[in-house]
Amino acid sequence: MMLPFSTSLSIRVPLIAASLMVLVGVVASRQVLETLTEVQDERVREIAELHFKALSVALGPFVLREDIWEVYDTLDRATQGAEGNRLIFTVVSDETGQVLAATDPRRAPLDSPVAAFFVNAKTLDDLSVAGQASQILLRAPLIFQGRRVGEIVSELNISDLVQERRRATRLLLLGNALATGILAILGYLATRRMLSPITRLAKHMEETTGSPEATPISYVPRGDTELTRLFETYNNMTTAIEHKAEAERRLAERERFVSLGRLSSSLAHEINNPLGGLLNAADTIKEYAERPDVVRSSADLLTRGLRHMKDVTRAILDENRMDRSATPLTAEDLDDVKLLIYPEIRWRVQRLSWTVRLSPGKEREVPAAPTRQILLNLLLNASTAAGEGGEIGLSFSEAEDGTVSLIVSDNGPGISESARRRLLSSEPVAPGGGVGLRLVRDLVKGLSGSIFVDREDGETRIRVDLPAATYGRRCEPC
Amino acid sequence: MNRRQFLGCASTSILYCKPLVAEEPVAFRLGLTPVFLDNDAIVLKHFQSALESILGAAVGFEQRRTYEEVTGLLLSGSVDAAWLCGYPFLQHADVLSILAVPLWNGRPLYQSYLIVGRDDAASALSDLEGATHAFSDPDSNSGYLVTASELARIGRSPETFFRRGIFTYGHRNVVRAVADGLVRSGSVDGYVWEALTTREPQLTKGTRVIWKSEWMGFPPFCARSDRLREATVERLGNALRGIGNSDRGRNALDLLTLDGMAPASPGLFDGIAKRMAEIEAL
Repeated sequence: MMLPFSTSLSIRVPLIAASLMVLVGVVASRQVLETLTEVQDERVREIAELHFKALSVALGPFVLREDIWEVYDTLDRATQGAEGNRLIFTVVSDETGQVLAATDPRRAPLDSPVAAFFVNAKTLDDLSVAGQASQILLRAPLIFQGRRVGEIVSELNISDLVQERRRATRLLLLGNALATGILAILGYLATRRMLSPITRLAKHMEETTGSPEATPISYVPRGDTELTRLFETYNNMTTAIEHKAEAERRLAERERFVSLGRLSSSLAHEINNPLGGLLNAADTIKEYAERPDVVRSSADLLTRGLRHMKDVTRAILDENRMDRSATPLTAEDLDDVKLLIYPEIRWRVQRLSWTVRLSPGKEREVPAAPTRQILLNLLLNASTAAGEGGEIGLSFSEAEDGTVSLIVSDNGPGISESARRRLLSSEPVAPGGGVGLRLVRDLVKGLSGSIFVDREDGETRIRVDLPAATYGRRCEPC
Repeated sequence: MNRRQFLGCASTSILYCKPLVAEEPVAFRLGLTPVFLDNDAIVLKHFQSALESILGAAVGFEQRRTYEEVTGLLLSGSVDAAWLCGYPFLQHADVLSILAVPLWNGRPLYQSYLIVGRDDAASALSDLEGATHAFSDPDSNSGYLVTASELARIGRSPETFFRRGIFTYGHRNVVRAVADGLVRSGSVDGYVWEALTTREPQLTKGTRVIWKSEWMGFPPFCARSDRLREATVERLGNALRGIGNSDRGRNALDLLTLDGMAPASPGLFDGIAKRMAEIEAL
């Protein structure tokens, strides 16, 4: 019997137990009824055997003499004297098979062939009272003084035995139904009780949102080693997941510095390179102090160089300031990113296409810090992918509803499968790979945004859409 | 009292004392055929006690299955008298005498009936050719001789006329055999059949009388002619003939549906004798 999979275990198990009980009950009842039939067979055989023996003794001499009246009279008296109306009909024939007399002479007329009754008659050896017939026809030879002198055929009333079997069947059915019902209920309750920790665990898991939580200590069943182990394993798992999330969070945090670290040498050059010019400008001022035109132009040069250095250091500082997460994205943030990425581009002799379409004077409704981080990571990734002399680009635009859309492109060999998984799924990060792209994914997810990867005409494009509403929510005090 | 007188007296006392401890000896023995309601022990008991009250002595009834056996008892002297049928009486008329003949409906006469099953279509003996037939006793007048002699008149015998003839040794058994369907027809004592219609109507209802014989002498009580002068036989004859004079006797007669007993001469059985002659002639 197949049960629908949706049926709960606490119903399925007792049902299976009840079905087995029914099966056992049916088999046992069958056995009992068969035994009862055998006992009844034996009883009827005994009665019939006695009957045939008594008739043989009583009728033998009359049959030998063909004393029809005495045969009839004896049969008549035997029938009237028989207990319980067991014997319905008896016919006696001589050795040639001609009827001598019967308890009902109209049914078996004098001199008619007794063989007419043999058709349905059974011998004592193959006697069986099984079945629903309330009468049974039996035949036996009439042996007198060791000689077969005739035949006896008797019809026995076995309706009481049939009734007895019916009654037994009814009782067995009733008893089995009752026993099965009680056992099924007990089985149901016992199974429910046994399965209750699992049910509680399932409910706990259903109710948990976000990362899984360990169950309260009171949920852990006592004394049942298997279930206790299950709970312990579950609780250990939740702790492991927590640890893992914590580690990832820390890793992401570190990544921010990693990306800056990657930039540090080029940024150092960015600061060092103008330094020579600036020192020359300072020397020129010292040397031509009396020439105001030279001093002014050198001071201008100094001011420009120092302002550039100030911008670079401010961009670095801004990148590291966490409290900027709540401030909205501005055009200056994008300029900062460009400033930070530019030395890397130059070092790799790459071409950068920078398209920013922003509605002037409008405040963006996306937060600055995560967006800058997303941009920086994607651009660094694109720069690495494009390689020496490659091309990378940024296209930044905003729609009417405030949704910000940024597309970072490169002409590198295309994004690898593991990198795509890090960027697009929450599957565990394969060891060895960087966490930059996974950080992008987590940040975009945190802003309820979406990421699309697409490659066309030898160009890999990663598009990130950030909805405006997110920023409003992010502005809530937290 | 001398020693001889004492011994004589003692032996006399022993003789007198013996009957006091022993069973009452049976003074009269009467043989009975199953001529009538032989299954009814109460009827016989009343008849027996009526005779005993008249005779003032125990009367033993000797019953046998066949007429032949009872006739044998009478001829051998094992019984003092016997209630026989007219046919065996005539067979031994040279040695037997009639003590009394019962009166039925005021006359010492009865008939033989030919009966068939209630639903049988036969209306005469001729319709029963090839049938199964029940006789009472080969020595019975009404239960055998009458039918056999009727067949003799058309040149047939029971053995050839009927497919199978059986003897039931009792008139009541003939009625049972026919009523139960064991046989198709039967020859029965008209007196018994009539008595059964009142006593066991459900039995006779299963049968139908299709033919009655002429009136013939009723079965008589007989004794051996050579013992007629014996006191036992004489007293028994007187008791039978006078049975209607006592209350018990009348009661017994009522149960037997008889009116009384009367002396009779062998001439009463001339009709039976005639049928005997017809059979012997065949």
